[in-house]
Amino acid sequence: MLFNSFDFILFLPTVLILYFLTPHKFRWILLLAASYFFYMSWKVEYIFLILFSTLVDYFIALKMERINQKKKRLPWLLMSIATNLGLLFFFKYYSFATNNANGMFQSFGIDFNFPHLDFLLPVGISFYTFQTLSYSIDVYNGRQQAERHLGYFALYVSYFPQLVAGPIERFSQLTPQLKKKHTLEYDNVANGMRLILYGLFIKMVIADNIGTFVDQIYADPTIHSSLEILTGMFMYSFQIYSDFYGYSLVAIGAALIMGVRLMDNFKTPYLSINIAEFWQRWHISLSTWFRDYVYFPLGGNRVKWARWIFNIFVVFIVSGIWHGANWTFIIWGALYGIVYLIESILNKQLKLSNDIKPFSVRHILMAIKTFVLVTFIWVFFRSQSLDEALFIFENLGRNFDMESNNFIIPNTVWIFLSLFLLSDILLYNKRFDSWVGQKNGIIRWSIYSILIFAIIVFSGVENHPFIYFQF
Amino acid sequence: MENGILKRIGFKVLLLAILLVGMNYIYQYFFFKADLTKYSDIAEQVNSLPQNVDIIYLGESSNVTYLEKDRDKRAISEFINEYLPDLDVVDITKPASHSGIYYAILNQIPAKNEAKTVIVTLNLRSFNAQWIYSDLETPLQRGLVLMRNNSPLVNRLMLSFKDYDIKSKQERERQFKGQWLADEFKVPFPFPHKNVKDWDYWQAMNPIKDSSGNIDQYQTIITTQFIKTYGFQIDTLNNPRIQDFDAIVALAKQRNWNLVFNLMGENTEKAERLVGEELVYFMRENRDLLVNYYGRKGVVVVDNLETVPDSLYVDKDFPTEHYAEKGRKDIAKNVANAIKND
Repeated sequence: MLFNSFDFILFLPTVLILYFLTPHKFRWILLLAASYFFYMSWKVEYIFLILFSTLVDYFIALKMERINQKKKRLPWLLMSIATNLGLLFFFKYYSFATNNANGMFQSFGIDFNFPHLDFLLPVGISFYTFQTLSYSIDVYNGRQQAERHLGYFALYVSYFPQLVAGPIERFSQLTPQLKKKHTLEYDNVANGMRLILYGLFIKMVIADNIGTFVDQIYADPTIHSSLEILTGMFMYSFQIYSDFYGYSLVAIGAALIMGVRLMDNFKTPYLSINIAEFWQRWHISLSTWFRDYVYFPLGGNRVKWARWIFNIFVVFIVSGIWHGANWTFIIWGALYGIVYLIESILNKQLKLSNDIKPFSVRHILMAIKTFVLVTFIWVFFRSQSLDEALFIFENLGRNFDMESNNFIIPNTVWIFLSLFLLSDILLYNKRFDSWVGQKNGIIRWSIYSILIFAIIVFSGVENHPFIYFQF
Repeated sequence: MENGILKRIGFKVLLLAILLVGMNYIYQYFFFKADLTKYSDIAEQVNSLPQNVDIIYLGESSNVTYLEKDRDKRAISEFINEYLPDLDVVDITKPASHSGIYYAILNQIPAKNEAKTVIVTLNLRSFNAQWIYSDLETPLQRGLVLMRNNSPLVNRLMLSFKDYDIKSKQERERQFKGQWLADEFKVPFPFPHKNVKDWDYWQAMNPIKDSSGNIDQYQTIITTQFIKTYGFQIDTLNNPRIQDFDAIVALAKQRNWNLVFNLMGENTEKAERLVGEELVYFMRENRDLLVNYYGRKGVVVVDNLETVPDSLYVDKDFPTEHYAEKGRKDIAKNVANAIKND
């Protein structure tokens, strides 16, 4: 059940109405049932994975809490990590690992092949796996008490607004809110609806319309001119941003109506002055996860210079692997590592300050530089293989012909893209719900009308599933 | 407290409803027509159907595909018109269509239309799971959304929210492969293969060899394609195509149309040469079932299964119902004769 589906239009109001009609002490049952139903709408069988992961982490956490010595808790933590990452490995990385291994066996003349297994990747597995892992690690470190109520713990793992593509929430942030008694509050409903509306607009009108043209470019770059390929590359930057940002806003909005505040996942990332800032503004719930559970345990930046470089690379490469089982993601992560390091070293050597006045000339120039870098790096993310990525770059410098090869982007797409860019500038360090909430009634309803009309009339009609669902 | 909030929310919902009514008018007058052209060529074809037509011909690519060297490249429906000069035949052609699409089209034909006869293409291949669960289904279903009996804005909303069958290619492949496994053959003679998957696998493992004993990969691939295309038995209780054709029969009765099913020619000659008479048995068995089943329901079923010889098929690399000029003419002649004799 996609957020931009008719099913979800019916599902969400039904759950919300039932939620506020249900007495507080039974709400967790309703939300858990709704969340499992939501998840099973993709593939019924995969609910067993969530159940398994939930039960394992629930009991391991209880066990760890009863052990005083941290050292003795370690085997239990390792069991949790092995179980979660084992599932993730099996479903997400098995084919990648075995294909590479089989290729290696073949090149060494070894007559052995791992069997090929064909199954659909359980939607959201990377997200809820990381969510439960953070809980186990926090309990192990004594930062979090183990949850005794299995129902609430199961709800933490599977809460439907953020189950399949985040934001990846911490137990300490989400569960107390799920336990709290929420009454129907007008501001929550209004702000939640605003976020859902804006989220659907940027997903359905911006991302889905752009996606059709990006697909054309990547399907066969040889028939397109350099300018068209470049346009396609920049279009993809906007597609993936509006796609994932849109999804996150719907998730945050849906939860907000229930009184649950999920963390912001994006803060105008394309206005960042460098890669370090970009990662503070892009997929924030994942980047902070890696910061807290990978980078800091490795020593962060309070280590020797060589070790710090190592730490940075580990974080970015693991982040790449998290996104998908493909060398393209590893290269994508590694490239971020390289650019991050170069920028950090340059900043240090040239003693450049990051304290720049927003929308000053320097800010604009640096933001453009960052955006261009990110756009080129996205090519690896979008490509199905390294060859495809290199093929795109190869063709980029091949045909400077200005003639169009049926690659005509309609004016409406340009208009909406411009509106989106403008709104990103207006929303710099703000959120859409609070920004629009401050406008007077006429302006507010004019904005709503434009968004609603655009969603209904100008949405892309081809099916472009949320890009991050594949992770 | 909550009452006050509910009132505020209720007021906003009312405001939204008024806005939507206004938007519906704006959409209908300024955008709907362009959307129909862009997303629903079927609706365009139905809308442009003349009122005083005698025969409506519903077809897929078989109607209009021709051989490049054909002298006369007209469609089957046009040849039918040539053989029935006193009647006016108009076609609605949508490639990859099947009974579900035809039913949706027929359902949209205005009651005031004067057509007396409706000819519907009955394509044997369309009963196969591979076509039922084909990924072509997504664009076909998408094309029908704007034709639904709702206000234009509601239909556009449904199109925007993808209220149509949008399974991925991978999911569809799983569906038809699963169906192939589940459909076990029941034949009155000893037959070594349990189902079409089994048969296809066997063929792939026992490739065709040329005269010098070398594996002929090209012929093997075509042979397995024929097996996968025709190796099935129609189950009248569960096949969705049957349900849709049944609905067409019911609609035709209601609208007082003479209904003609044009059972298209399939390359039985090539099927026998490549695979053997077992495959032709399946093709003929399915043909007989359809002719009898719909004959009993009062439909004129024109049996063209073996009308077109191998030499007149346009596509040589895979099985289709695309015929050269003479093939299209022969099919059209049979249909015209059936209508004359009815």
